[in-house]
Amino acid sequence: MDNPEKLHPTVLDTGAEQLGKVYARALISAADRVKAADQVVDELGGFVDDALRSNPALATALASPRISEEEKCRVIDRLLGGKAHPVLVNFLKVMGRRGRLGYVAAVRDAAESLRDEMLGRMVAEVRTAVPLGDDLRASVIKKIGGSTGKEIRLVEVVDPDLVGGMVIRLGDTIFDGSVSNQISKLARQVKSGFSRELVEKFSAFSSG
Amino acid sequence: MKFSSDEIASVLQAEIEHYDSKVDVSEVGTVLEVGDGIARVYGLSGVMAGEMVEFPNGAIGLAFNLEETSVGVIILGDYLTIQEGDEVRSLGTLLSVPAGDAVIGRVLDPLGNPLDGKGPVQTTTTRPVEIIATGVAERKPVSQPLQTGIKAVDAMTPIGRGQRELIIGDRKTGKTAIAIDAILNQKGTGVKCFYIAIGQKDSAVAAVVEVLRREGAMDYTTVIAAGASAPAPLQYIAPYAGTAMAEHFMFNGGHALVVYDDLSKQATAYRQMSLLMRRPPGREAYPGDVFYCHSRLLERSAKLSDELGGGSITSLPIIETLEGEVSAYIPTNVISITDGQIYLQPDLFFSGIRPAMNAGISVSRVGGAAQTKAMKKVAGGLRLDLAAFRALEAFAQLGTDLDAATQAQLDRGYRMVELLKQPQYQPMSGTDQVLSLFAGTRGFLDDVPVKQVQQWERDFLKFMHSKYNALVEELTKKQELTDDITNQVTAAIKDFKTGYKPEVK
Repeated sequence: MDNPEKLHPTVLDTGAEQLGKVYARALISAADRVKAADQVVDELGGFVDDALRSNPALATALASPRISEEEKCRVIDRLLGGKAHPVLVNFLKVMGRRGRLGYVAAVRDAAESLRDEMLGRMVAEVRTAVPLGDDLRASVIKKIGGSTGKEIRLVEVVDPDLVGGMVIRLGDTIFDGSVSNQISKLARQVKSGFSRELVEKFSAFSSG
Repeated sequence: MKFSSDEIASVLQAEIEHYDSKVDVSEVGTVLEVGDGIARVYGLSGVMAGEMVEFPNGAIGLAFNLEETSVGVIILGDYLTIQEGDEVRSLGTLLSVPAGDAVIGRVLDPLGNPLDGKGPVQTTTTRPVEIIATGVAERKPVSQPLQTGIKAVDAMTPIGRGQRELIIGDRKTGKTAIAIDAILNQKGTGVKCFYIAIGQKDSAVAAVVEVLRREGAMDYTTVIAAGASAPAPLQYIAPYAGTAMAEHFMFNGGHALVVYDDLSKQATAYRQMSLLMRRPPGREAYPGDVFYCHSRLLERSAKLSDELGGGSITSLPIIETLEGEVSAYIPTNVISITDGQIYLQPDLFFSGIRPAMNAGISVSRVGGAAQTKAMKKVAGGLRLDLAAFRALEAFAQLGTDLDAATQAQLDRGYRMVELLKQPQYQPMSGTDQVLSLFAGTRGFLDDVPVKQVQQWERDFLKFMHSKYNALVEELTKKQELTDDITNQVTAAIKDFKTGYKPEVK
């Protein structure tokens, strides 16, 4: 994933999401027939990250209705022809012919989640204060995999603000075992407990 | 005064030792857009309607709209520092507010945070803000009176404990004044009062708090304020929060009086939220469930059965009308929900009849059962007589000659109207009301000039308390006009009238 800080974009276009799902399902089933689903999804991801994200001009050109279909198909051929799987190239050409090339990123998001779902895979974001060691990473994957019964794809984020411990995010659920969270919880509890005690036995505190 | 640091340290140490560290498990989402007190959140896939969520700036929100791809959250607090992409954490609980004796005498916001500078409410008792009202089996009919101390109200539209009596009228007709007088009159009765200010000017709320403090009513009153500058979600939940605090007393066998000032502003706040959440607008652009918004609130006012302790919540919702238009959407809704209404009219108010209650269309549907026997005897038929008098008065203005009977009825009417006038912040005891109205309805005032009626009443009550104190006490104890007491009161009035010379001004 390009930016693991945000698991999903903060702009929600339900139309694009819907459309992406439909195209992604078609793409995966087409790729599955030639047993290349993983490769195609990976290549689509690479195309979006390397070609479109780093080249906004290209993304705009592909999305623009002013540029003819033939022109777009030629661009795709030149960029991917021979390098990418033919299913992906054909798929992008179909999208181009239907004027949907502006939604490639949405198709990619949908395809990845669809692929994860089909394989029983899950994305887990692990946030730690220091980078994970190999054995710790293995044990985290094993632990989460054991409790969810799914294969885990780990996204690692280093965040020194956590001080220690780790925060694991699975879908919408967060398991927060970080030291910073513990400290702030402790502070809150001690503060409220202390003010309660202060009201209850005010006289004990004052010695004058 | 000095503080011993050893004590403080030991308490802190104990608190730290009690702390058990657990891994926090919570569900999160991401803010997609925020503004005008609401946020749309992506994620939070397991959140339930009405569940609390927390924003990174500490503001609390409520899951309000559960949509296919996002969750609409109302923000109960500062929404200006929330940004797109912020992480929202669900708290897995429903919104609750502090309750119990600790809230009495305080001025709080709808979340129970202090507005009076006296520090946080120190209590471990909390109650959920939204609960389903008690059912049929847990209730019993209204039977005890709730004296407002206002002659016109207690005589003509009596209020019982557990009743919902609407106060409705244009702006500046004395709606709040009636509610405040009712609160002042609860002194010494053990009834806890809750004044919930919704969408009011903060200066108006401050004035009310000042009056309550001056009259010693803050000892048993809580003020919950969501002023005009508070975000709409806070104004929307304020009445529910206040009711939750009152329910603590009701379910413990106590009695509470709740004033919602006013529900039209709450409906407006709810309309704002609903429209921003893109719920379809209906009549007057209010959402379809604005009736439910008020009915589920007012249904929580109840008189509990004896098995549940017999506690009660009496509520006085206030609705402001525009140009006397009671057939607008919100007024008709609330009129149909409540057990009666006190209708205040601007023309009466400006002609000096205060409280400016229109006797003809003000009713109390259940309070009659809760009136004391003495009051029932002196005030029975008063409301209809007064309404008839109004009609007759209009007719008499045509200048036609009237027969003696009609003239007598008119004269009695003028004096009763005069007798029912009452200054603000001067609630009267039930016994005094009975004595005054007895004198009026039995015709003892017919020979007193109309302009002197109020003076006569004051002097008469002073006289009764000084010379016939035993009789007054007996009446207070029995709350019933037996033949014996009736005769004694009649004699006392005659005694007063023989020696009475009104001061010439």
